[in-house]
Amino acid sequence: MILHILTKAPDSSASTQMQQAIGDQDAVLLIEEAVTAALDPSWAAWQQCHTRIFLLSEDLIARGLASIAAGNGLPTLEMDGFVALTEQYEKTVTWY
Amino acid sequence: MIKYGFLVMGAPYSSPAPHSALRFAHAVLARGHQIAGVFFYHDGVHNASSLMTPPQDELNLREAWTELNQQHAVQLDVCIAAALRRGLMSESEAQRHGRQAFNIALPFELTGLGQLLELQQRTDRLITFA
Amino acid sequence: MATPDALLVILRHAPHSSNWLREGLDAALVAAAFGQPVHLLFMGQGIMALLKEQGSGALGQKATLPTIDMLEMYDIDKLWVAEGALQRMHLSTDSLVDGVSLIEDQEISGLLQQHAKILNF
Repeated sequence: MILHILTKAPDSSASTQMQQAIGDQDAVLLIEEAVTAALDPSWAAWQQCHTRIFLLSEDLIARGLASIAAGNGLPTLEMDGFVALTEQYEKTVTWY
Repeated sequence: MIKYGFLVMGAPYSSPAPHSALRFAHAVLARGHQIAGVFFYHDGVHNASSLMTPPQDELNLREAWTELNQQHAVQLDVCIAAALRRGLMSESEAQRHGRQAFNIALPFELTGLGQLLELQQRTDRLITFA
Repeated sequence: MATPDALLVILRHAPHSSNWLREGLDAALVAAAFGQPVHLLFMGQGIMALLKEQGSGALGQKATLPTIDMLEMYDIDKLWVAEGALQRMHLSTDSLVDGVSLIEDQEISGLLQQHAKILNF
């Protein structure tokens, strides 16, 4: 079980490579530029990981995307929740 | 309690990685965990520059790392090969290479890459910020 | 396929475009020198590191090929190449150095699960 941390936009090669590497039980946290995924609820990774993929709230708010994420019904986590994910998942891989 | 190590590879003020790492660090400590050390590699070595002088209304990242070291005993290791080729060195390295200035000082320490692997071995989690 | 204590180093960047590849390979070599079993996975542009006809760059930019040739001396003999990425880049194994192992895109997640430690460059 791996926690994947994506820092680049959904159309980046980092994102494509991450999507190839996600296992059935893995989780995904979208931080930095990756929170622009909030704009596209049809992005494949939302379906691929449905209950185990989250947007980092602070980075959404900073970019003015928080209400769009909420409107699209996408799950968010505070920084505290990010730490909780790393407690749960022993391995993390950052895609940048 | 979980023991964390960080690998920071993003440059200050050109990558959001150092800011993300610092915010995450404080959240880790707030949940009662320990951060054993931070290893600065690739462009992340610039986080250690003592000549870093951002405008007064911006966070000085080197000072933020230093505070983490002083208040929570987090070891700050900088990859020596990555630092030297990017023009960052300590006083002793400056002497060794015949340079007139230096910009790495305690609590940052120049070490080899072996330190990164050692950090990965002795911590429960290694989180990369790049 | 992999030993549980092995380190997987993922290389996703090409030579001559950034220092990610060089510094990623350096990490792999140091880990191997410390006696850790190391496996490499080349994804995306990282595959360019394996082109057998590559050379050094202008103004003394070091070539990557000598480092690739050195891997075996460090007992790094597992060089996984993402097959899908190879096809997307219109490359075939004929253009690559000898001794690479192809891995299908669907098997990549399994490879990551099998390694206790991963560094992604």
